[in-house]
This record gives sequence, C-alpha cells and structure tokens, in this order.
Amino acid sequence: MTDMIALEQLTKNYPGQARPAVDKLDLTIPEGEIVILVGPSGCGKTTTLKMINRIIEPSSGIIRLQGEDVTRADPDELRRRIGYVIQQVGLFPHQTIGRNIAAVPRLLGWSRQRIADRLDELLHLVGMDPATYLGRYPKELSGGQRQRIGVARALAADPPVMLMDEPFGALDPISRERLQNEFLRLQGQIGKTIVFVTHDIDEAIKMGDRIAILREGSTVAQYDTPETVLAAPADDFVKEFIGSGASLKGLGLARVREVSLADWPTSQISAGREAARRALDSSDHGWVLLLDEQRRPVRWVEARALQGEGSLDRVGLEVRAIVEPTATLVGALESMLGSRVGVVVVVDGSGAFLGTIDMRVIMSAVEVMRAAAHKRVLDDRRRVHAGQEPPANAIAAQ
Amino acid sequence: MNFVEYAVENYDRLLELSLDHVAVVLVGLLIGGVIGIALGITVYQRPHLRNAVLNVCGVILTVPSLAMYALLLSLLGTIGARPVIVALVLYSLLPIVRNTVTGLSGVDAAIVESAKGVGMGRWRRLLSIEFPLAWPVVLVGVRVSAVLLVGVAALGTIIGGPGLGELIFAGLRVITSPNAVNLALLGTLGVVVIGMLLDAAFLLLSRLTTSKGVR
Repeated sequence: MTDMIALEQLTKNYPGQARPAVDKLDLTIPEGEIVILVGPSGCGKTTTLKMINRIIEPSSGIIRLQGEDVTRADPDELRRRIGYVIQQVGLFPHQTIGRNIAAVPRLLGWSRQRIADRLDELLHLVGMDPATYLGRYPKELSGGQRQRIGVARALAADPPVMLMDEPFGALDPISRERLQNEFLRLQGQIGKTIVFVTHDIDEAIKMGDRIAILREGSTVAQYDTPETVLAAPADDFVKEFIGSGASLKGLGLARVREVSLADWPTSQISAGREAARRALDSSDHGWVLLLDEQRRPVRWVEARALQGEGSLDRVGLEVRAIVEPTATLVGALESMLGSRVGVVVVVDGSGAFLGTIDMRVIMSAVEVMRAAAHKRVLDDRRRVHAGQEPPANAIAAQ
Repeated sequence: MNFVEYAVENYDRLLELSLDHVAVVLVGLLIGGVIGIALGITVYQRPHLRNAVLNVCGVILTVPSLAMYALLLSLLGTIGARPVIVALVLYSLLPIVRNTVTGLSGVDAAIVESAKGVGMGRWRRLLSIEFPLAWPVVLVGVRVSAVLLVGVAALGTIIGGPGLGELIFAGLRVITSPNAVNLALLGTLGVVVIGMLLDAAFLLLSRLTTSKGVR
C-alpha cells in the first residue's frame, strides 16, 4: 500500500500566538483509506486539513501528494486535484445544481458533452434524480440533499483525494446517520483517499479505516484502526477522549459473523413434544428453541410448558430477538436485553437457525478484541525497537 | 393660462429637456458606476483604505451642489455638460462604493472558501462568484445614486448644463411674470417624474439581472 499524502514536519504559526496551531506534524495517509483527524476543539485538526489543499498556507514543512512535493505548487491547480467538502457545504447559491457540480470540470476545460454525462453519473452516485435536480437552485434543496451535492461537486473531476471538514456536522441526527451510511457505501464503490475531520469520536469510529487522535498543536496521540484505538488506547488523553463506553463502541464495530456462536438445544415443531423434552433434558439450558420445517426459529419453550399433549404451535414465547450475521454486536446486545430468555437467535439470509448469542459470547468477543489490539500494539513496538521499517501508524504514534 | 394648458403647450420643449436631463444623469451614473464599483472592489478587503475612501466619498456628498458647480467651473475653466457630469460622477460615488463594499463583504465566507476549494483563482472567484452574489446590493447603491443625481443635475443649468433646470431657472428669472410659477412647477414635476421612473427602471433591472437562486 502506497502513501497518497505525506505531511512532513508540517507547521503553522499564527502571528501573535505563542504556540503553533500545528507543530511539526508527521503523518502519512495511505491510498484508498478514510483517515479521520479527531480531537478536541482548538487542537489544530481543521488547520491541518486546510493545509493539505493550502486554503491555509503552512509556515514550514512539506506536503506530498502522490509523492510529489506540492508545498509550493500552484494552489489553484492543486485544488482541482483534491475534492473539498465543508460543513456549511458552500454551494454557489446563484448557480444551478448542475453548474455547481460542474465547477471543477469547467475549470479543467471539459467538453460540454463530457460534463453532461458526468453530471448524470454523479447525481445517480449520490442517489438523486438528474432530471429533477440538475436545474434547481441550492435553496430549493434540504440540508441533506445539499451535502450530497457538495460531495458530488467534490467528486466531479474524479480527484484521487477528498478532504472533508465535519461534512455531516450541521445535519440533524437522522440525516447525519443516513448520509454517513450512504457515504460509506459510496466509498466502497469509489475507493478514494479521504481525510476527514470531526470532533465526534463516535463518527470517527464509524467512518474511519484509521483514526488520528490529535491533541493541542495537532500532535498525534494515537494513529491506528478504530478497533485498536478503542481496545488499546495509547495513553490517558486518548482514553479520556474516547470517553466511557469504549467496549460498547468496540462492539459497534464487530459483526455477528465474526464471533463463534453458542449452540442451543433445538427441536422441530413437527417432531412433537417428546422430541422437544429430550432435547431440553440433554442440555443444561432451561429453554428449548422450536424450529419450523425450514429450520426457522418459532417459539421458546420451558420444560413446564412441554408437559401434556397437543400441538406445539402456540406454547411458550414467540421468538423476537433475531439477528442476521451482518448485524453488529451492539445490535445483538440490544436485542438480547429486550429478550425474556436473554439470548439472541442468529439466522441466515433465508431465516434458518445458525446459532445463538448470549452474554458469554459477547464477553469473549470483547476479550478477543482486546487481546488482538494489545498484540498489534506490542508487535508494532517490537518492530520499532528491532530497527525494522516501522508501519505508518507507529511513525505517527511516536 | 392654467398649469395643464401650459404643460400641453410646452410639451415638445418639456420632452426635449427631459431627455437631455436623463442623458446627462445616465452618463454621470455610468462613469460613476464604473469608478465606484472598481473602487469598492479595490478596497473591500483592505480595512484602512476602505475607511479612507468611504470618508472621502462622504465628504464629497456634503459639499452643496451650487458650491460644487462653482468649484468645478473654476477648476475646469469651462461651462456646459462637462463640469456637470464631473459633479454627478463625484456625487454618485458614496452610495455605489459603499454598497459594493457591503455586498462583497456580505458574501458568505463558506461560499468563498469553497470557490477557492474547487480551484478558482482570485479574479475568477470575484467575477463568477463574489460579484454576482453582491450584485443586488451594488445595484441598490446605483439606484440610490440615480435618484440623487436627477436632483443634482437640475441645478447644473447654473453652469450651462443641459436638462430640466432650464425651466426652473427660467421661472426664477421671470418671477413676476404670470408664467413664472408654471415654468418652475413644470421643471420640478419633470425632475420628480424622471426620478421615479429611473428608480422603477433600476428596480426592474435588478429583478431581471439577479439569479433566481438568490432572489
């Protein structure tokens, strides 16, 4: 994996301020990843971002884009190679949506036909209908739609790099979550190198392939994957910044398919009461899970309810807590807490029984995540001490 | 002869003088507009220069127009339309410069930043983003100046300038004659009507030249 962006000893001094806003920052951004700069207000994260496309000119240091030193390149040409999305969106209100998106292609002198084709493609990419929206003005759009157009404008000339400064910060929680998810799906298709600034650690954990946690002067406190940052925070600053609930946040990143499911006594309804009783007796659980002909979970039944005769269709409790393997462990935990049995049933895409998740499964998942993160941190340290080429995250974490 | 009869009788002369009046105002406004907008663009990001220019323009506006005409007469050494136009240009500056500065400074910083972010240079940003967004405010300044100049131009007759002032001053000269009041009234009403028409014309121009997206 090559580095798309490299910042070397990057510094920004503002006149009249004793300490630099950004102090000799070294950071490398690998190609095709979303790197989040996150930290408390005033830590210099936005200044750092804006120095990459030189909206803010660095006082000293070097910015490399695809290996090329662009610190003193023509800033306008540099910016046409870098998509830029800001919190206030900054659409040009007197221009139509089409013209807004076409800003960079027009500056690059694309033909009319090529621009028209690209506009169609981009609107489809951000999930908006070209015929409806290309001729509209920004004021006729909702906040979420405007930010989609902001993203489309940044992508217009297919730049390798996108800079995003709190892009979803001004949206209501529901729109924000929707746009975050859409953006992650979009990134799955386009695979850009993205530098993303936020002050919200939860957004950082959700959106980032890597997170750089910054303290004052844009000093890197930790630069690693969200999983590692959560399970093995580098120091007290990081720990405090992540806040309470780090384990829960970690569970939000892990998927049900990644853990080994617990087995559970099951019996088919059609096999009758005797079979269900036998299944229950041969285990140390208090409940048996009844399945239908397609092995889909139907009822939870206790031993008491299995006495007597008759059909099993209506005995026991309905199975409500069901998740698929793509669900997060937080989702599974949430379902579990709402279940009378204290167990979540995992089913495949067709609804057939795969296994269950109970508290022990969750606990061991947390253990595994913690151990893996510590191992990664230790390995990195060992490699650095052994004098080998250290990985990108270790350079910055020093 | 009552006023209406007088007006009908002198219709040709009234129309001719009105057209002259409008012409001299528009020439002054055009030159003042170009200079005023250029000055506004030059100073809007330089606070010290901006204040200095606005103060000078403000002082110009406080000079009584009769005094201004007398001054220009001696400075330029000529009478007629030229010194009148110079006076009109000077008087038009304050509203135009001030509104250009206000309009350009009022453009949302995020819009300017994203214009930078897509790679627009200084001039392109000004011409295709900042100025079009400031335009409705600039045009209000031009409109205010237009109405102001219509009144100032009426006094230009005193140094041989063209326009409706001629009727007003003719009325003053023959103050004892029966038509004196009719003359002065005709000139004055003409000035008022021209002012209102120009005001309406600029309002319409603003509608027509402002993007639907910012209306």
